[in-house]
Amino acid sequence: MREILRYNGLRKSIHGQLLLDIDTLAIHEHSCVALSGRNGAGKSTLLRIIAGLETPDSATVSFEGQVLSWRRLCRKMHTQIIYLHQHPYLFDSSVTDNIAYGLRRRGLPLRNISSKVSEALDWAGISHLQLRNAHDLSGGERQRVAFARARILSPRILLLDEPTSNMDSESRGQSYRMIKRLKEEGVSIIVASHEFHTIAHLCDEHLSLQSGQLQSLPLEAEGGARKIIPYG
Amino acid sequence: MDSLSAASADSFRLLFSGDPALWIIIFTSFSVSVKAILFAAPLAFVVAFMMAHLRYPGRRAMIAGFSALQSIPAVVVGLTVYLVFSRSGPLGDLKLLFTQTSMAIGQFLLSLPLLIALSHAAFQAADRRVWETSVTLGATPGRAFITLVHEIRFGLIAALIAGFGRIIAEVGCSMMVGGNILGYTRNIPTAIALETSKGEFAQAIALGMVLLTLALILNGLLAFFSGRGMMTS
Repeated sequence: MREILRYNGLRKSIHGQLLLDIDTLAIHEHSCVALSGRNGAGKSTLLRIIAGLETPDSATVSFEGQVLSWRRLCRKMHTQIIYLHQHPYLFDSSVTDNIAYGLRRRGLPLRNISSKVSEALDWAGISHLQLRNAHDLSGGERQRVAFARARILSPRILLLDEPTSNMDSESRGQSYRMIKRLKEEGVSIIVASHEFHTIAHLCDEHLSLQSGQLQSLPLEAEGGARKIIPYG
Repeated sequence: MDSLSAASADSFRLLFSGDPALWIIIFTSFSVSVKAILFAAPLAFVVAFMMAHLRYPGRRAMIAGFSALQSIPAVVVGLTVYLVFSRSGPLGDLKLLFTQTSMAIGQFLLSLPLLIALSHAAFQAADRRVWETSVTLGATPGRAFITLVHEIRFGLIAALIAGFGRIIAEVGCSMMVGGNILGYTRNIPTAIALETSKGEFAQAIALGMVLLTLALILNGLLAFFSGRGMMTS
């Protein structure tokens, strides 16, 4: 699998305390990585750094083998990487407007936007919600809109921060199905969760954040405390 | 009592007969205050956004400073603008004293701290995910700012209404830098002050009714937009 993004020597301190101390992190094409770790281990911070929403204290980053400055990398990240918050934010407008938001920023013609939005609504099974205000939706519906809004931009990497936390089993199942479909469409996915067993079936690699460092764990070692292989 | 009733009856006649002198005063008031707010609002929003979202030295001092400046008396702003634009002042050559422009500048300065403080509260309360979601979906910082403004629009509209309410009714600054010139810089509050001092109550009451109606409408709108702040599910 081709490597898309590589971080070397990634360090991040928060309030004077070293939170992340990662020697190497590589993200490959068509991969689905489970990122586990206890609450407060730094999973969200790591995803936000990968998304370009937070700046690391130090890191050498290469995109498709080319070392880039942080500023140039951020520009690339914002067109190729999408980060979904634990509770995705939907703008105070219709579901259609929310899904079209990214395409409008890319300056696509209105006719193309309209057809792509229709297709995305069908994909997520939310065509019946298209005219509803996004703030009036349930948690599960919001998650589906957020997935459709991300997918429509054809990201190369999708970062999901605890995507199924506080969801009922039906919404959880819908989210898993959408993650699986995105994976089949070739999107590289990193799913962060403090409950690895809930996402293990979706992923083909398991990284665990422990004391700021990434450990590669076998997928079958649920909870992953037994067999620790240093990553990178 | 009779003279007061007669003055009130006259005031209605003036208002509804379309008395040009009265309506010029009303128009001047609105024209000056709307210009002041239109110039102050974008600057206030950008400064408030920076104070709420960026980390830089002196940020807290700025917040405290603008908060303190909200209570600056209108006559002090008027005096400052007067001294700056008076013939011997640093900008005296511009000959702006006793013009609508100097009144708008005074009102701009008067409304700015209030607009910044109130819009800062709105930006501070905004959900950080709005900005991050916009950026991760490919918005430029400028576009993400517009999205953020849209998301907190009710708080910002409330700030605008409060700022407009502050300047449309102020007397001190307008009187000092405008000079209360009939048909040019005489606005509602300065006209009320003048007519009352002359004992001409009809026009003062008519203008008072306009100002009172406006105040009620503005406060109604303020309550309406503030009340929009429902808990989100």
